[in-house]
Amino acid sequence: MTTQSTAPGRVLGTNPAALRTAFARRWGPWLLGLLIVGGAFALQSQIYVGQERTVSTIFMFVALAQAWNLIGGFAGYACFGQVVFFGLGGYTTAVLMAHTHVGFWVSLVVSALLATAFGALIGLPLLRLKGHYFAIATLGVAEGMREVVINVPSLTGGGAGITVPTVGNQATTAYLGNNGFYVLFLLIAAGSVAISGLVSRSKFGFALRAVNQDEDAAGAVGVNTTRTKVLTFALSGFVTGLVGATYAFQQVTIFPERLFDVNITVLMVIMVVIGGSGTVLGPVLGAVGLQFVSEYLRQHYTNVHIFLLGLIIIVGVVLLPQGVVPYVRDAVRTREFSLLANVRRYRL
Amino acid sequence: MSSFLQATLYGLLQGGLLALIAAGFSLVWGVMNIVNLAHGSFVILGAYVAWKLQSLTGVDPFLGMFASALALFVLGYLVQRYVINLVVNAPIFVTLLLTFGLDLLLVQGMNIVFSADYRSIQTSYASANFGAGGVRLPYGRLFAFLVAVAVTLVLVAVVNRTRVGLSITATGMDRGAARLMGIRARHVYALTFGIAAALAGMAGAMVGTVGTFQPADAARYTLLSFVIAVLGGLGNMYGAMAGGLVIGLVEAWGGQYLPGTWVNALAFLVLVLVLIFRPSGLVGKAYYAARVEV
Amino acid sequence: MQTNRTAVLGIGAALSLGLALSGCGAKVASSNAGSGSGGSAAVPDTLTVGASMSLTGKLAREGALTKEGYSACQDVVNAKGGIPVAGKKVKLNIQYQDDTSQPDTAAQLVDQFNDKGVKVILSSYGSASTEAQAAVVERNGQLMLDSAGADNKIFTKGYKRTFAVLSPATEYASSIIKAIGELAKPRPKTIAFLSADDGFSKTVTTGAVAEAKKEGFTVIPPEFFPNGASDVSSSLTKIRSQHPDVIIGSVHLVEGIAIVKQAKELGVTPSGGIGETVAPPTPDFAKTLGPLAEGVLGSSQWTPQVKGQDAYFGTAQDYANLIKSKFGHAPDYHDAEASAACLAIVLAAEKAGSTDVNKLRDAVAALDTQSFFGRIKFDASGQNIYKPMSVIQIQHGASVDVWPAADAAAKLVWPGTGK
Repeated sequence: MTTQSTAPGRVLGTNPAALRTAFARRWGPWLLGLLIVGGAFALQSQIYVGQERTVSTIFMFVALAQAWNLIGGFAGYACFGQVVFFGLGGYTTAVLMAHTHVGFWVSLVVSALLATAFGALIGLPLLRLKGHYFAIATLGVAEGMREVVINVPSLTGGGAGITVPTVGNQATTAYLGNNGFYVLFLLIAAGSVAISGLVSRSKFGFALRAVNQDEDAAGAVGVNTTRTKVLTFALSGFVTGLVGATYAFQQVTIFPERLFDVNITVLMVIMVVIGGSGTVLGPVLGAVGLQFVSEYLRQHYTNVHIFLLGLIIIVGVVLLPQGVVPYVRDAVRTREFSLLANVRRYRL
Repeated sequence: MSSFLQATLYGLLQGGLLALIAAGFSLVWGVMNIVNLAHGSFVILGAYVAWKLQSLTGVDPFLGMFASALALFVLGYLVQRYVINLVVNAPIFVTLLLTFGLDLLLVQGMNIVFSADYRSIQTSYASANFGAGGVRLPYGRLFAFLVAVAVTLVLVAVVNRTRVGLSITATGMDRGAARLMGIRARHVYALTFGIAAALAGMAGAMVGTVGTFQPADAARYTLLSFVIAVLGGLGNMYGAMAGGLVIGLVEAWGGQYLPGTWVNALAFLVLVLVLIFRPSGLVGKAYYAARVEV
Repeated sequence: MQTNRTAVLGIGAALSLGLALSGCGAKVASSNAGSGSGGSAAVPDTLTVGASMSLTGKLAREGALTKEGYSACQDVVNAKGGIPVAGKKVKLNIQYQDDTSQPDTAAQLVDQFNDKGVKVILSSYGSASTEAQAAVVERNGQLMLDSAGADNKIFTKGYKRTFAVLSPATEYASSIIKAIGELAKPRPKTIAFLSADDGFSKTVTTGAVAEAKKEGFTVIPPEFFPNGASDVSSSLTKIRSQHPDVIIGSVHLVEGIAIVKQAKELGVTPSGGIGETVAPPTPDFAKTLGPLAEGVLGSSQWTPQVKGQDAYFGTAQDYANLIKSKFGHAPDYHDAEASAACLAIVLAAEKAGSTDVNKLRDAVAALDTQSFFGRIKFDASGQNIYKPMSVIQIQHGASVDVWPAADAAAKLVWPGTGK
């Protein structure tokens, strides 16, 4: 960030209009972001308690998608085992709260840090792999971790799940309720978007994009590719672990099958791809859009909702293969809004 | 000792079936760089075709598998030709998203049409066994294994010796150059996807004969195919066979000698280690490991 | 410039989606505000009950059977004009939502029902989902009738608003052990246990191992395999060398079928045969396995031989006929326990003379009645205390009741006793 702070004035001189534009470009997104967070707080007072839970699930996926976007979108390393950080964070919190009676807030921090460390640890060997091979290796780690959790029942409860104490004198932190989790998930989601925004505009972010486009060339011009990748992976693990820990407390009882569910990873990937990978806004749109659509379909077309969701995804992908944000960006620039032209561009 | 032999034998048979399940997945990935998340639902759909055929006309599933293959070939060809080909030039992972949508559609479609009842294709012989002493060989799994081996050999012959096969390989290596040589990439892609779907359909008929199936099982077969394809390595038609046999044996031996369900953790540990030390898989070609995306 | 405009466009889109979401939520809530039970003294025309079901996903098969049971109950009650509550006929209206077999979604759906003023809940399928739902029901002051969450763990948490019509997990396999101990001649010596590794199945196994030791059988320590596994060959190979007389499987349908199929493939032939929980009474079991299913023992929450009757379903045999004519298959205990859970709500509403959730809860807690499902009365933890487990055996392709002897429809066929 420091390298950028003086850039606009120097480049654009003293032209007031240009300065205004530069100012808007620099701070506009942050202001809009704040506006949306404020709007989300306002929304909270307008909806029912149970809807808060539905909306906080959306926030949760915004944060998860954003976390995946760091490693999968910016760095181009498609992690198919991202859920391992989610599960690790969730189980760390559950185990700490159930066995050692540590409070939730401490557990939350410990869980996130542990997920960060784990990301760095597995990142070192695995990030040498490329493309789908990296994807499958991380998938292996996540599936393997689930089996480990299942096989140490004395600690994790095994397949029977583990319950965070929330009532009586066993409870170390009072249950936050749907109100509390709404706020917490909202803050985590906002934080994840902020992290993504900071990374996107920083020198580090440019290094990441360089790695994504051509890793050898990035290395040749002086980017420490290993450090860049491992740091990103750890950061992505941090956010995911944070979400997992919060989720565990919200759910009270957690099960390994769900906490390490490959479908959660798949959802993260899909949300990012729909919105536009490697953009700050894309994962937000993808997560909000997909969660909203699937929730709406479930409530209104209960018997065929998954079928319809599949159909919508197929049509959406065919029409907007590059994701929403890149499409809009290109369309605005080229004044070419036709979806058919867009389809023509990507077909064989 | 007889437990060890039994576990080994069973692991090999199971591995052959797994190899057949993953063969098409590996082919599609190797040639088109598409990770087909709907592969598992193709397998289950194949099982339903063979099951329906048997319950309507009494056709044995080992003949019915050809009907499954044909039906799935047509479906696969059309899907690639008219849907997936539309996004082949799009950025990475778009095909993944597309096939995910397809998977949702197929799985709930089957759920609506066939219900979620557990089905099984019954034969008089599949569960019968022969053998001596402590070691038993069930006929159903043996036949399924032989089919898997035969299909792999045929696939290798087709890919390496026929015009169609060579154009598939050529398109997989360099689509642009292949088109300049007069290969119709659209058709070849659709053909490849059709063949892969046909293999999945055959595997489905076998799965339905030796075990049970319902629509929700699709996800498991997709995941297995993913693991096996990478473990074996891409760009070699024997890759899926190698990956399948290794997974089959590891699971059989691990299940025998490890307590609880640690065997599953072991299978994934093997996978991760193979990838770290031999990124192109057991018998795969380095070219496919180095290639990031088309 | 483009970046900025894109951001504005995108954020605009996000905001409008958010607005749409809140708008939609508010609309749903207002349109349903009148139909809920509410807290007012006036008895409404309909009693709305929320049911989160596993209509898709791993448990879709069991979820479909549970839904049959719930809808059979709604049809029967409404065919009689409704529930007589304080001199008024109240129609039953069950709303279904799909939880895709995920506990977190099942819990979220309970919250969503609460928003719509739906205070009475019929549980989803399976212990994991039910456990997640019970916590939310308790927080929201709702009432849940549990038709399929059997893990004893659910009832140790002091919940006051979840009531289960079914027998707890510990009874599932120990009833088979009791039946063998009582009826099998010659008496088997060693029993091997195979178990799925989910919480419910493990509780089942623990209960059964304790029972087997009490009965004086030699117990081979349990072998575990992943929940939902269709390949259990390793576990079978392991126990084969120990030559057990009986194999008891704590399983669900898939693993149950796999054990019987693969035991045959591997030549594992215990002299006393195989007994399994959950799987054998399900219609799919005999249909899928054909002749291999013959003689397999199973435990069942309900059979058509259960004694007792009620004003809605009549006797157990009447219920069996109802399911047969409605859905075209022999009744499954999953159907029956679902209908029984729904029936408990109906009978409680009659007793309470109100559809207010708190009065309903108290009426359910005080319920002591006969029904097609047997006698229903709940203890303080919410479990049905009079509920015995029946043991069935597959004979000539059909599941028949063989234990307890008083209810038996047929004699236990035991290898060695001759047919």
